[in-house]
Amino acid sequence: MDPFTRRQFGRLSLAAAIAGAGQVAGVFPALAQGANPIRIGFAMALSGGLAGNGRATLLAYQIWAQEVNAKGGILGRPVQLVFYDDQTQPGLVPGIYTKLLDVDRVDIVTSPYATAMIAPAMPVVMQRNVTFLTIFGAGVNEAFKYDRHFNMNVVGDDMKETYAAGYFEVAAMLPTPPRSIAIAAADNEFAQKAGESARYHARKRGIRVVYDRSYPPSTVDFTPIIRAMQSARPDLVFIASYPPDSAGMVRAANELRFTPAIFGGGMVGTQLASFQSQFGPLLNNLVTWDVYSPEPTMNFPGVAAFQAKYRELAPREQTDLLGNYIPPYAYGQMQALEQTLTRVGKIDQAAMAADMHAQEFDTIVGKFRFSALGEWAEARNLYVQFQGITDNDLERYKRPGAKVILAPSAYKSGALRTPYGAAG
Amino acid sequence: MSAAGERSVEAVGLDAPRAAVPKLLAPSPHHALFWLCAVLLGAALVVGLRLIGNEYGYFAGYFILQYIVLSSAWNILGGYAGYVNFGAAGFMAAGAYTAIALRKAFGLDLLPGIVAAGFVAGLLGLGTGYLTLRLRGVFFSIATLCLAVVLQTLIVNWDYVGGSRGAYIVRPREVPPFVSYGEYMFVVMLVLAILAVGISRTVELSRLGRGLQAIRDNERAAEAVGVPTLRLKLIATTLCGALMGVAGAPLPYYSGYLNPEAAFSLAYAVNAIAMPLIGGAGSWLGPVIGAVLLGGLQQAATVTISSALNLWIVGWMLVIFVALFPRGIIGWFRRRA
Repeated sequence: MDPFTRRQFGRLSLAAAIAGAGQVAGVFPALAQGANPIRIGFAMALSGGLAGNGRATLLAYQIWAQEVNAKGGILGRPVQLVFYDDQTQPGLVPGIYTKLLDVDRVDIVTSPYATAMIAPAMPVVMQRNVTFLTIFGAGVNEAFKYDRHFNMNVVGDDMKETYAAGYFEVAAMLPTPPRSIAIAAADNEFAQKAGESARYHARKRGIRVVYDRSYPPSTVDFTPIIRAMQSARPDLVFIASYPPDSAGMVRAANELRFTPAIFGGGMVGTQLASFQSQFGPLLNNLVTWDVYSPEPTMNFPGVAAFQAKYRELAPREQTDLLGNYIPPYAYGQMQALEQTLTRVGKIDQAAMAADMHAQEFDTIVGKFRFSALGEWAEARNLYVQFQGITDNDLERYKRPGAKVILAPSAYKSGALRTPYGAAG
Repeated sequence: MSAAGERSVEAVGLDAPRAAVPKLLAPSPHHALFWLCAVLLGAALVVGLRLIGNEYGYFAGYFILQYIVLSSAWNILGGYAGYVNFGAAGFMAAGAYTAIALRKAFGLDLLPGIVAAGFVAGLLGLGTGYLTLRLRGVFFSIATLCLAVVLQTLIVNWDYVGGSRGAYIVRPREVPPFVSYGEYMFVVMLVLAILAVGISRTVELSRLGRGLQAIRDNERAAEAVGVPTLRLKLIATTLCGALMGVAGAPLPYYSGYLNPEAAFSLAYAVNAIAMPLIGGAGSWLGPVIGAVLLGGLQQAATVTISSALNLWIVGWMLVIFVALFPRGIIGWFRRRA
């Protein structure tokens, strides 16, 4: 694939934006009809609490659309993204999806980011029997059981069984088998499910839970939580948190010099450039859940080229500078859509769903299949460890060695260092 | 205001209220005509949207109608009595979670859920009114805000209704005789909006409304001339709470999923205040105008300006309206007249 310059991309983006805006406003309907594009519609959090990841996802989609159009489109038709800002307000989502399907008459719909925004779109999509590609949902289809739902997330069907399994694989690498664990989880759907998985695996392995608490999302001072954990003297600490809480936990653990053998868990936020740049060496030996790391074991074809483009555009789009979290998966989601459309040869919702259930997809985040519920048939929850971080420079996160993969074994790229808090 | 109260006003020689009394009593309320026009307008909306045949109209309409209910409810306490309620999201969520709890416990559908939501949120309003009787002005507002925080904490820790994870409601795909579930939700909210506006108007034109206006103008003077302030405030908080709960009950059915963050969204509290202020607080028509204008603008901005710019535009609209029309659109027209 030919690389393109920022100026070229800027021109193409401008043209796409004008065409997109014209389509939405009805200014250039004739132009759009003449090109007969495949219209992909979605809501995305471009403002509000989830905007950070929402904007990164949108940028990945735009890069994909630009590349596909440069190659001549899909089935000989260009692709066009029709999207609206859901403002991270679930109440706006049903209206947006109704407009996309009934007024804009898009050909295909993909989801907003993430669970709380995906769920309100599901009834609208189900009513019209449309194939629905979602991104980073957590068990949304357990309630709806919609057979045309396909979720791009490494978690898999059974989060309780799969999510924390890798963490305990890492714990088994300790020279002395761990005997106790402390668990703290935020009061939200994702964190509670993650905490449940940790509890389940601890029980399964005979590890005593010496601290197990939830905390409200509005918590700002994490010192009491860390101090309480510290007094319980656990070998392992599993924290399931969202970005602001993850930051508070890491800061409190360092201030109180808390040094369990393994500290980490399902800490969302540690995957983002802003977090890594802010905390630098404080992250050394932290073991956390992740979805991607630029290690040799994950060097899938195309991912490096995508990230190079993404990183060139990210500063201007004011989104995550590294693109090591959602962007490769958002791009991979669109690749899966492209592969399905190419195989089916037309836009047929039933045939597309049947194809997605039956076939394997080969994307920049690797090969995968979808299960009956539309989750990844084989979960791939990574547990990585920050190693050798000496400063706040983000360049190191573009190379192998900074986020070493410890589990699952198929992707392992280094050895566990312990305890947390020791110099990396 | 009671007859004794009116005599007291005359006795102490308060010219302004004396001048206002005949004006308030003079116009005939025309209740029957109002209800007839409201029902006809509602029927015209349903028929019009069915003729257009576009599902999006129902969702956009639902969005605006829910704010008509919410802002009319806010207006009863905030507009007529002058008690600014920042807890609209709390009352609305109480209604929404009542509907969820009833569905989980007894499998009850939306309509019984709405009735129960009105009852529960009304009781909550009554309790809030009773507990905050001694609070006025900003202190009352802070108390209502605290109520929303307390309720959210309760819901987050109540696993039966989904807790922090949220609750799913798998709705039916069709509800005969409606053409779609969207139309069903629209009609339900339309009926609720007509009822809310009708109740608000009836309150405004009744002795209750005049008593609340007296409380707003000067609570001590109202008390002195015989207005039963305690009773009226309790009735207002109960009505306000019940209508807000009723507005919230269809929310989980509308979105299919509800978590505490969405149910207690600040947007509901802000819009419930902003819409009557823009339209004209203290008049039954003001919240309707404000909800149609601001709700319509928000919906239009969401589906035309696909970026954070829509929030910026809506924010500026609020600033401009508050600066240029401090008494709302109704107030501006009245001044010109």
